Amino acid sequence: MTEYVLLFISAALVNNVILARFLGLCSFMGVTTRIDTAVGMGLATTFVITVSSMADWAVGAYLLEPYNLWYLRTVTFIMVIAAAVQFTELTVKKVSPPLFQMLGIYLPLITTNCAVLGIAILLVEHKMSFIEATVFGFSSSVGYSLVMVMMAGLRERLALADVPRLFAGPPNGFIVASLLALAFMGFSGMTS
Amino acid sequence: MGETMDSLTDYSAPTLIEGFAQVVAVEGKMAWLVPEQTSSCGGCSSAAACSSKGIGTISTRLEARRFQLVNDAGLRVGERVVVGIRENALVRASITAYAIPLAVLMLAGALAQWIAGSDFVTMAAMISGLVLGLWLARLRSERMMLKGELAPRFLRRAGMGETCNS
Repeated sequence: MTEYVLLFISAALVNNVILARFLGLCSFMGVTTRIDTAVGMGLATTFVITVSSMADWAVGAYLLEPYNLWYLRTVTFIMVIAAAVQFTELTVKKVSPPLFQMLGIYLPLITTNCAVLGIAILLVEHKMSFIEATVFGFSSSVGYSLVMVMMAGLRERLALADVPRLFAGPPNGFIVASLLALAFMGFSGMTS
Repeated sequence: MGETMDSLTDYSAPTLIEGFAQVVAVEGKMAWLVPEQTSSCGGCSSAAACSSKGIGTISTRLEARRFQLVNDAGLRVGERVVVGIRENALVRASITAYAIPLAVLMLAGALAQWIAGSDFVTMAAMISGLVLGLWLARLRSERMMLKGELAPRFLRRAGMGETCNS
């Protein structure tokens, strides 16, 4: 149990997918102007990353490894991620059409989110077991959502601040992102 | 920019998220609307013009998100309107659609791993958990729909040239 808790903390905070691995930066800058959209995108990404981590592990263990097809892993994982996003979209549409009307707009953005592919490649390179891969995918995406919501909160406040015109908007966002990354570097001191 | 917020502003009150939509059909007392694309590129009002029709294009994706409103305002086909939903409705909808299935999936996986300790059993338990979670999400979304929490409201007619950036 302890190893899973450590894996969670490591993937969510110490090696945060956005601020330590610098993956998923496009959605990080693009969808963090409001907290509610950041929460929507974060939860959708968490769901897709967790489901695609499970599927990627199964494809890697039962298809790529037995047939020695590791050189196809990037293409294969892109297909698995696209399938996971389509599955999520169809499921949400079937389970609740009103929810699909409200949230469906975020799903296509996840297909092109490099964080999803990055996590899939990392979990096969570290030769994790199924449960480790799932916990790693889940905790990485929780870290992603956490940083998205933090950034959105900061940007909502910054939108009200009287800053020089040249710094308003994205320039200010980049400065805040760098300060957040510096703050998250402090978590690396928690592991030996 | 540069506006000062007075100390009496109630930050706990849910605000409305506004969006633009176009009336595509009127049937009796109901109007059918299609939302305009909103993205970081700011090209909301040109969504219909910047993509050709076809499977998977923005146009078909937006048409798939058609919604109904009670046409008390006498809306006509082709009119652009501003609609709104409560800010917390989006968060609650996200929690219902994604967090509930995910929580049940992870709980089922954790239980299976603790009891059986086998990859196959854990995988099967997680898939079953996902199905159960989606069913629970459906029940909750039906309740939210009955309470009217997911329905957008008509706010006003959009002005000439008004966009999400103006």
